[in-house]
Amino acid sequence: MFLLDFFWSLWESITHILTFSRNPQNNKLSIHVKSNTGSSVDVDLDPQWDIGTLKEAIAPKIGLPADDMEIILAGKSLDDSTTIAECDLGEQSVLHAVKSHGQRQRRSRPLNQIMSDLVEENDATLTTVSEVPENQDSVQPPVADSEEKQQKNAHFYVYCSVCMTKSTGNPATPLKPKEGKLRVRCFSCKSGAIQLDSDPASWSDVLEPARVSGDCQEQGCSDGPVAWAEFFFKCAEHVPKSENESAAVPLYLIRANSRSTPCLACMDVLDTVVVFSCAHTICLDCFNDYMTSKIRERKFVLDDNVGYSLPCPVGCEGSLITEIHHFRLLAPNLYNLYQQFATEDFVLKSGGVLCPHPNCGMGIYPDDDCNTVRCTCGYVFCKRCLQGNHIGDCDNAVDILTGLSPSYTIDPSRAAQSKWDEASHRSIRAGTKPCPKCRTATERAGGCMHMVCTRCDFEWCWVCQTSWTRSCMGSHWFG
Amino acid sequence: MSGYSAEVKVAETIAYKMVSLPRRIIKETQRLLQEPVPGISAVPDDSNARYFHVIVTGPDDSPFEGGLFRLELFLPEDYPMSAPKVRFVTKIYHPNIDRLGRICLDILKDKWSPALQIRTVLLSIQALLSAPNPDDPLANDVAELWKVDEAEAIRNAKEWTRRYAMDN
Ligand SMILES: [Zn+2]
Ligand SMILES: [Zn+2]
Ligand SMILES: [Zn+2]
Ligand SMILES: [Zn+2]
Ligand SMILES: [Zn+2]
Ligand SMILES: [Zn+2]
Ligand SMILES: [Zn+2]
Ligand SMILES: [Zn+2]
Repeated sequence: MFLLDFFWSLWESITHILTFSRNPQNNKLSIHVKSNTGSSVDVDLDPQWDIGTLKEAIAPKIGLPADDMEIILAGKSLDDSTTIAECDLGEQSVLHAVKSHGQRQRRSRPLNQIMSDLVEENDATLTTVSEVPENQDSVQPPVADSEEKQQKNAHFYVYCSVCMTKSTGNPATPLKPKEGKLRVRCFSCKSGAIQLDSDPASWSDVLEPARVSGDCQEQGCSDGPVAWAEFFFKCAEHVPKSENESAAVPLYLIRANSRSTPCLACMDVLDTVVVFSCAHTICLDCFNDYMTSKIRERKFVLDDNVGYSLPCPVGCEGSLITEIHHFRLLAPNLYNLYQQFATEDFVLKSGGVLCPHPNCGMGIYPDDDCNTVRCTCGYVFCKRCLQGNHIGDCDNAVDILTGLSPSYTIDPSRAAQSKWDEASHRSIRAGTKPCPKCRTATERAGGCMHMVCTRCDFEWCWVCQTSWTRSCMGSHWFG
Repeated sequence: MSGYSAEVKVAETIAYKMVSLPRRIIKETQRLLQEPVPGISAVPDDSNARYFHVIVTGPDDSPFEGGLFRLELFLPEDYPMSAPKVRFVTKIYHPNIDRLGRICLDILKDKWSPALQIRTVLLSIQALLSAPNPDDPLANDVAELWKVDEAEAIRNAKEWTRRYAMDN
């Protein structure tokens, strides 16, 4: 049933593109056709052309008869009757023209469509891909309707460094993911003139190179007919400035909401959602709210393999986001905070300290045998208590310069950093004390005096500002 | 206490005040009013749809049986990313509730998740009345007594219920 539905929606989207492309203003596409002998032709294509027509048009320029030619896109040889519109090409796309191997390949489904199945099916049930019936014609095309069809066409979302790092005006506005296209090239020679032996069967096949084999038809490729494929993504929302532009990063948790799952936070059913590995589903706006509140609370997790990341909002075991580019969707000012916290936590986790001086926060790896640390900003402090350099033990410290007990200046040390936005400023001033162990500004939530440091997990007492004890519970557990 | 009959009217009056509210809060509120949790009523305030007047009936077979406990529940600006703020208004003798009515309940703190709802919070509070937990890391005088002399603690709880939660 699922497959039938799939074909209907596929047919609908194709019909939609065809209808759309009848508009004469929109219908020319400039693309490059490269041959495996090194020649390259630029063509303006009419989306209603089929591949057979394209072959005739470029045959003289490429120097290969149309009958002997195969056109390869994204690992697939295109059938003569396929229209350009069906190929889902972007402006300045590259097609590969190669000499045919003799027997014609059966028509196979374009890669983006195969992968849209993978997005919707979970990885364990992927066998359905090979059971796809060959003749699509047996499915009666339903009448295409309205605009939502175009959205169904967007199967992948990416982080695009070209489109998303430009200043977008307001640094407090979250970013939107860009639509992406899946492409494939030879792992060895990086040429796109590769025909896949089989379709990718899971997301791992796409995300890790050299899992799907193919026939590389680039002349001089050392792997030739026994090549490995390497998949990559292109941003579909800008015209590439050059062919070698760096690939877009797939934000593979972001998907079309094909199953109409309500967002776990706002409960609305939205078109585009974030699906965690545990299957918990949240809409893009709520995902941004979630990241925002977690970065403000400094509750990201520093994982050795993944980096600075978050689990699903419910906190499921093993649901950590493994592609940290998803956090690029944070508003730019919060993304700066994310980078700052990630760096600081890394310094602390790997045995460093942060300079406690106002406006500094420099990460320093102090000597093992000396408690006194001198920061490049000029501030000298004790690495054990992070108070100003002192004589005597840390608990009864007397400042060397002033002869007074050093009072802690937590607030300025972090909050005054220009990177902090207004909201954090306010919440920081409202009622924070430093963690006695690592000096992270910690806000008291609710009535409990029992504090747990968000950074080092140290359990401490708001009143005593030392570690949390039974006697703290007995005498001042509540305010 | 106006009781359940007033709820429909309240629902109508707040209906258009909710326009600027997130849809989730509107949906939760509608469901709370249409299918109330047995033993719990939660009605949004006339002037602030994020502030709920809550009444929890003391569970049967608990020292709080027969009492009607008033609570206030507030949905902060970033709800559901952060937990609702809940407090007992009616005085209650309970090892997990302090003298200002603040509740030490994990789902109101670090175990909060946006997948939980007002409804789940209220059910957890009701459960906390049925099963006080003096071993939770809190050791105020109530919890101490609950551990040392449970019978005496339960007598106190019943006495407080009679005195503060039944007067109306
Ligand atoms: Zn782009
Ligand atoms: Zn190659
Ligand atoms: Zn949502
Ligand atoms: Zn989960
Ligand atoms: Zn410094
Ligand atoms: Zn010291
Ligand atoms: Zn700490
Ligand atoms: Zn203490």
